[in-house]
Amino acid sequence: MTSVTMPETGGPGDGSVILRCEGITKAFQGVHAVNGAAFDVVKGQVTALIGPNGAGKTTLVNILSGSMTCDRGHEFIGGTEVTNWPSHRIARLGLMRTFQLSRELGGLTVLENLLVAPHQQPGESLFNVFFRPRLVKRQERAYVERALDLLDTYGLYRLRDNRAGELSGGQKKLLEISRAVMVSPQVLLLDEPMAGVNPALIDRIGGYILDLQRSGVTVLMIEHNLNVVEQICDHVIVLAEGRTLATGRLSELRQNEQVVKAYLGEVIDAGTDR
Amino acid sequence: MSGTWYYIFTLAFFLFDYFILAMGLNIQYGETGILNFAYIGFVAIGAYVTGVLSLPSSAGTGQYYILGLSLPFPVNLLLGGLTASAFAVLVALIALRRLRTDYLAMVLISLSLVLYDVCNNYVPLFNGADGLYNVPEPFAAALKLNTNSFIPFFAAVTGVIALFMWFVMSRVTRSPAGRTFRAIRDDEVVAAALGKDVFRQQLKSMLIGSFYAGIGGGLLIQFSGSFNPTAWLPGETFVVFAVILVGGVGNNIGLLVGALLVETLLVHLPAFLPAIPGAPGLIEYFDAVLIGVLLMVMLWFRPQGVVPERARRAASFGVKARLGTAAGELAEHVGSARAPQATTEPVALTTEGSGP
Repeated sequence: MTSVTMPETGGPGDGSVILRCEGITKAFQGVHAVNGAAFDVVKGQVTALIGPNGAGKTTLVNILSGSMTCDRGHEFIGGTEVTNWPSHRIARLGLMRTFQLSRELGGLTVLENLLVAPHQQPGESLFNVFFRPRLVKRQERAYVERALDLLDTYGLYRLRDNRAGELSGGQKKLLEISRAVMVSPQVLLLDEPMAGVNPALIDRIGGYILDLQRSGVTVLMIEHNLNVVEQICDHVIVLAEGRTLATGRLSELRQNEQVVKAYLGEVIDAGTDR
Repeated sequence: MSGTWYYIFTLAFFLFDYFILAMGLNIQYGETGILNFAYIGFVAIGAYVTGVLSLPSSAGTGQYYILGLSLPFPVNLLLGGLTASAFAVLVALIALRRLRTDYLAMVLISLSLVLYDVCNNYVPLFNGADGLYNVPEPFAAALKLNTNSFIPFFAAVTGVIALFMWFVMSRVTRSPAGRTFRAIRDDEVVAAALGKDVFRQQLKSMLIGSFYAGIGGGLLIQFSGSFNPTAWLPGETFVVFAVILVGGVGNNIGLLVGALLVETLLVHLPAFLPAIPGAPGLIEYFDAVLIGVLLMVMLWFRPQGVVPERARRAASFGVKARLGTAAGELAEHVGSARAPQATTEPVALTTEGSGP
């Protein structure tokens, strides 16, 4: 792995590491999808995870979020080792995620998609439902207010009573992000948030991500759109063949021959004197 | 009581009882997405346990069964429901933790067959293939009810129990707990990524649904006074599935409609119709044909059921409606143009060509 100088913190973080992976490895029937990936994500930064198709980016995000277990390696969130913890425990530590192909809860309304997000709600206990209904109602109202605020911010307010399965692709992307934000996450993993959305919406999603960073959320996003990476990401991790190939600012990585060969290829060739 | 009223009260009993059974399966399948193909097994456990708790000691009765505690109604009924729930926890701990959807369904249908064989062949448990009979009719002695007066009385009792259980189930399904169940039904992976302990929630759903199954089974044996393996062939599970698919998955009112259409009109009514000349008994087998045809028609033309699951609107949470800000307008502009006057400033990311 090539190490490139760590960038200065762009957001409100204190420069400490909030997410660390050490030697994460995952093989499927002998084929290594992730092969010793290791990197740090600094608190308060927007970090991009880039790499060619098949580099293991989504598998790695699945492992980091607990949707999949790893064969070897370690994962830490804020100093706590969470290697191979189940999804729900990792989520309760404050790491939320979105999916490469939007996975809305299609039978629920847009509003309900957000309402389901808060962890360990009082109303999820049947004891509270029957014997502490006022507590449940009060908490539910607070959730509804917050959810409506978020739907307003993310431009989905008018669709609040629609079933989520009826939304367009771009709207589903927004719904996924707003659903993850509903629980005020510490770390947000975004799997290709700009994929398949129109240019105007790409601008807006970029704005939302920077807003989240300003509010203290650490973002790790898989992204292929290098304009987006260049403009909103403080730090970039390049993954190739399941390994961390390099880390640093995109401008620095453009000069890295290994990165150019593995991922950037023709685009960089056109802009450099090789 | 005339024959017509006898039929009507019998049909009313089955309507209420299958409404209870449908609510139990609905919370498992319709709300949480658990394909419980062993559902009728939980009904049978409820029926048998209610029966043997109600019957006196088996010595001298000509039957062989466990317990025989002569417990009064509804204590025996509640214990029957709780036993079905306890069995569901056991099954869930073994099967639900490791298996999902199709594989879980296969294990559960196998479990249903195993349960059936055990109860049918192991006589000391619940009297084998003969099943339990002469089960005391609840309150019959105290209220001096004869067979004719017991039927409308117990149909009414079952109606009251069904109404109470509907009230409880509505509270559950409309609560955040119900919302979490539906989230798991729609996508387990997403629900887990949102911090939901999927196994724990599914366990809860299995427990509630199986309690309803046990109560429904207990009411069956109390109504008819007998219960044997022919009453719960593994295929009976699919009659309850038909009730919820026809009525409307995820809608408690739909379940009542489904129970009326499938159980009352298609399963029990044909038994009261006059025999077809030259083919006695044929009409009793029409129910399976009619249910199959109805299921195909419904799944083709109205898969959401007669009364579809209702979306819970924002207004129902008691929060005042508000005007969306300008950013709220984006919803209408996505895919066409940039939203005007957004609260969140867009960044110009798309002015140049993107990377590879």
